[in-house]
Amino acid sequence: MFLKDYITDVFNGVSSLLKGMRKTGYYFTHGKEIITEQYPDNRATLKLADRFKGEVVMPHDENNEHTCTGCTACELACPNGTIKIITKFDITPEGKKKKAIDAFIYRLEMCTLCNLCITACPSDAIKMSANFEHSVFDRSKLTKVLNKPGSKIKEGIE
Amino acid sequence: MNISAILFYAISTFILSAGILAVTTVKIFRSAIWLLFSLVGIAALYFWMQLEFIAAIQIVVYVGGIVVLIIFSIFLTQNSGKEMNSPKAGKKIFSALAALFGTAFVHNLIVHYEGFSFSSAKPFNPNVAEIGTQMLSTTAHGFILPFEAVSMLLLAAMVGCIVIALRPNNNIESETLNKKD
Amino acid sequence: MLSLESITKTTQDWLLAKFNPTIALAMECAIVILLAITLFAILGLVLVLLERKVAARIQIRLGPNRVGPGGIFQTAADTLKLIMKEGLTPDTADKFLFNLAPFVVMMVAMLLLAPIAFAKNFQIWDINIGVLYISSISSLSVIGILMAGWASNNKYSLLGAMRSGAQIVSYELSAGFAVLTIVVLTGSLQISEIVAAQQNGWWLFKGHIPVVIAFVLYIIAVTAETNRAPFDLAEAESELTAGFHTEYSGMKFALFFLAEYINIFIVCAIGATLFLGGWMPLHIGHWEGFNHIMDYIPSSVWFMGKTFFLIFIIMWFRWTFPRLRVDQLLNLEWKYLLPISLFNLLLVTVIAIMGWYF
Repeated sequence: MFLKDYITDVFNGVSSLLKGMRKTGYYFTHGKEIITEQYPDNRATLKLADRFKGEVVMPHDENNEHTCTGCTACELACPNGTIKIITKFDITPEGKKKKAIDAFIYRLEMCTLCNLCITACPSDAIKMSANFEHSVFDRSKLTKVLNKPGSKIKEGIE
Repeated sequence: MNISAILFYAISTFILSAGILAVTTVKIFRSAIWLLFSLVGIAALYFWMQLEFIAAIQIVVYVGGIVVLIIFSIFLTQNSGKEMNSPKAGKKIFSALAALFGTAFVHNLIVHYEGFSFSSAKPFNPNVAEIGTQMLSTTAHGFILPFEAVSMLLLAAMVGCIVIALRPNNNIESETLNKKD
Repeated sequence: MLSLESITKTTQDWLLAKFNPTIALAMECAIVILLAITLFAILGLVLVLLERKVAARIQIRLGPNRVGPGGIFQTAADTLKLIMKEGLTPDTADKFLFNLAPFVVMMVAMLLLAPIAFAKNFQIWDINIGVLYISSISSLSVIGILMAGWASNNKYSLLGAMRSGAQIVSYELSAGFAVLTIVVLTGSLQISEIVAAQQNGWWLFKGHIPVVIAFVLYIIAVTAETNRAPFDLAEAESELTAGFHTEYSGMKFALFFLAEYINIFIVCAIGATLFLGGWMPLHIGHWEGFNHIMDYIPSSVWFMGKTFFLIFIIMWFRWTFPRLRVDQLLNLEWKYLLPISLFNLLLVTVIAIMGWYF
């Protein structure tokens, strides 16, 4: 039946268009759904998603200790040579030599925030932070040393 | 000279100068645009005569329909942006003579029937309802026969268009299209 | 009571008392031109801002909110920017037509303003062929677009102009048929008579099913005629950069932009006049009390409210539907809208003859 097909065609077309308009109309009338962040104004209260990846940081505890053993797993995992670890040998109180990091060099300008270093780390020494305000006037400021000066490895981490 | 006369001469000058530019310009698209302005001017003249219905029909049919069609065909021709060669002397003389003959013919008609006096113009009712009734009336001075004849002509033209537009090997085409989908 | 009608009447009386009729007429013309230009400027500013705000809310955003409270001066700032920009003309363009095109588009939009009734007895020219005048003048708007597209000497512009021409010429038909349904019911082409016929109810309610169909067809057809999404193939940013106004910049671009919004306003105003009763307040049958309350709202408010409601619907379309392909566009017109509107016109003629409307 040609005519019947034609009419159902028109009817289906109109009803699908109305379905679309209902959705957009819902958003129009419900201002609470707006997801825009008024960024510079709400900087103090800005909430980012937990999984947001801004840059790689190394958490330190209150005794200025981190958990990085200097195993260079992250350096090997990095696809574009963002991380460079310089190691040194500490002398333990027992007089033994122990490997530790001297500087964890992280080049933010080369980092693609792919998260491979985080998953590679065996001791959870590094993680992604939510900080996204990276703009600086000099490129050299983007090369960061992640371990704080005078920090040392936490006891019991091998 | 009152405002009405000034308006008449202004509109006439506009029509004539646009018409002359339409036939003298060497760019074909500009020629079409000048023709359009000339036709709009004629519509303005109808408005000046307070024959709004005829003016609107002039714009719909000539400006909105025929000139747009002409412009489309210009777009579809090659080298439409190039300047044309100016025509041969023989052609020019022939066109001038044709224009002259047309003017003389129209002038003769006007002088023969009405003359150039304003007083001879009979007032008539340009009401749209009146025109519609006249168009479909079967009494004396009714236009039902020409109206129907023109309708048949247009219907034939439309059917002809559809026949030309239909592809001869329709089935094969649609099958290949379906396969692509 | 202060109304637009009384203001125009006092102005006219004052002018006629002070000057002789010819000068008074010239001054009235000047006032009308001034008012029309002011209306255009204000409409341009308001509609662009409205469009951006509506788009933002539909897309769960905030929209312009920096210039002035809530961003209300955003379009004024944009206009300032456009005025200060350089108006470039391409080297190989047909300079005369290139510069003429925006003014043709603008002029057509201005001419369309003449027969619109903004309020009770507030109309520039109550021409006796009102509706026919509008459809004839609006068929001119394609000329400006074709001119702009060809004179730019640019492939995108030419393609945009061709698409736009095909689109406007086809959709004019079903818009015309939709308008004709109301003309058949009213028996007049004059805007004031069409409005007066809706004294006891708007045609959308009085004419029931066929008029509702005609209304839907009208809205679809005029959306296509004004080259707006989902029918914006003529300027499709993603395929033709900007179609016929690719090469325009500065104030000439602004004229095209303004003309687009003015055209939306005009088609919505005509839609409101034909289907929603123009400046006529909402009257329901014999509820005298209700009708009296409705009469207290000024007629200009009714007119503007209805027009902006239709503008909002057209904006809603734009931000909901994806753009049609060119073959889908022509299919929609020639296989769906035109047969339906022809059948609908037949139906409405039967209804008008038999008197099956309220």
